[in-house]
Amino acid sequence: MADYKLLNGRNEDGENYQNVLKKSEKISIPFDPDNRHYQEYLAWVAEGNTPEPADEE
Amino acid sequence: MTTRTLDMANVIASDVTIAGDKTLSGDITFSGDVVPSSPLSHRNVIINGGMQVAQRGTSSTDVGSAGGYFTVDRFRIDTGNSAGRCTMSQDSDSPNGFANSIKLDCTTADTSIAAGEYFMLQQRIEGQNLQSFAKGTSDAKTFSVSFYVKGNASATYVCELFDIDNTRQVSKSFNVTTSWTRVELTFPADTTGAFGDDNAASLYLIIWLHAGATYTGGTLSTTWTSATSANRAVGISSFFDSTNRTFFITGVQLELGDNATPFENRTLQDELLRCQRYFYMVGGDAGGDPEGASGNQRNYIVGRTSNSNAMYCAPPSAVPMRSTPTVGNFSGSFNINCINKDGATNLNTQPTIDTYNYGKPGNTVGNMYLSGGSGLTDGRVCCARINAAITFDSEL
Repeated sequence: MADYKLLNGRNEDGENYQNVLKKSEKISIPFDPDNRHYQEYLAWVAEGNTPEPADEE
Repeated sequence: MTTRTLDMANVIASDVTIAGDKTLSGDITFSGDVVPSSPLSHRNVIINGGMQVAQRGTSSTDVGSAGGYFTVDRFRIDTGNSAGRCTMSQDSDSPNGFANSIKLDCTTADTSIAAGEYFMLQQRIEGQNLQSFAKGTSDAKTFSVSFYVKGNASATYVCELFDIDNTRQVSKSFNVTTSWTRVELTFPADTTGAFGDDNAASLYLIIWLHAGATYTGGTLSTTWTSATSANRAVGISSFFDSTNRTFFITGVQLELGDNATPFENRTLQDELLRCQRYFYMVGGDAGGDPEGASGNQRNYIVGRTSNSNAMYCAPPSAVPMRSTPTVGNFSGSFNINCINKDGATNLNTQPTIDTYNYGKPGNTVGNMYLSGGSGLTDGRVCCARINAAITFDSEL
């Protein structure tokens, strides 16, 4: 089972965005290319892995 | 005794260059400007080199299975393939003039060292903080590294500067004894490969403590060169050779120039603010318990309700963070209430954080979305009550 799961968020302008949850560490990772956890996530995806989809709201 | 006074104005008629090192035993007063070749202040590009700040906690056990930040801020453990484990702590054992050090205490030895094993302490430095070294130009400057070390017995380890932008490196070995010793290492200038002028890591200062043949099988690279793994940590002892093994370090300084200067002491506040560009937490016990066990150290973050089950809140940071932070917690789950005139509801689902506010000069407020509640009225002012610490991490 994937260690990553997408999370849905919403900002105050009503715009939707996503983070990714790293389940083993219970951390919410923003999609910021300068964030080291996001860089690790991208490397994991580049290996052919796919995160779990976000829960339906 | 006859005192003789030298009238310099009459003796020296023009500019004078003094070759070689000289030592003057008395005080000197200059009536003109003193113009040093390297900065008098902000010399040290290492953050928290005196090991004063440990926001994540002062001790962490079983360190060695994975890399990361465990205790003292900004000092990272990187490890691979070794069965060796240690306790990492902020310790009061330190040389005179310091109050803290990092202590590594081996708890599981690894005497069968496979080729690909490594264990190191490192600090990663943003490129925009390294521009004064003029690396990659004809005016490139030398690097001086200094620190204090001590161990349970004699050992030899390696200090490496690794240019992550250009995959270049240079290494020097140093010795540890049972007494605190100051190590001063000068690394040459490098006219090849500039550091990026941005918020990404450009240079790793690495202390190699354990390595297999992949990293020790060649000849130690003591001049800047394209990185060859086998030349990075040649000749080191293994920190994991015995559970008796300890390693202490403090006073880490990296500065421009040929000579290491005395450690640049900064106040706790100065160092804390520098560290909080990379990591801070909201909530927790002021006494150092991130769980807030005393129950009276809750923190509040203002926000606005969203629909009947969620809220936006604006976590403040003392300084602009390096990048949009990762949000985590210490207790294994989030423990947050939304409180306003509607009452209180739990918002304990995994929060999300928006990238929108980060990366803007001067911004010290984020935008976090908390959900999972009920009974709220949309659009009302509210507070997120943080019952157990939330962490914000934008480390390199």
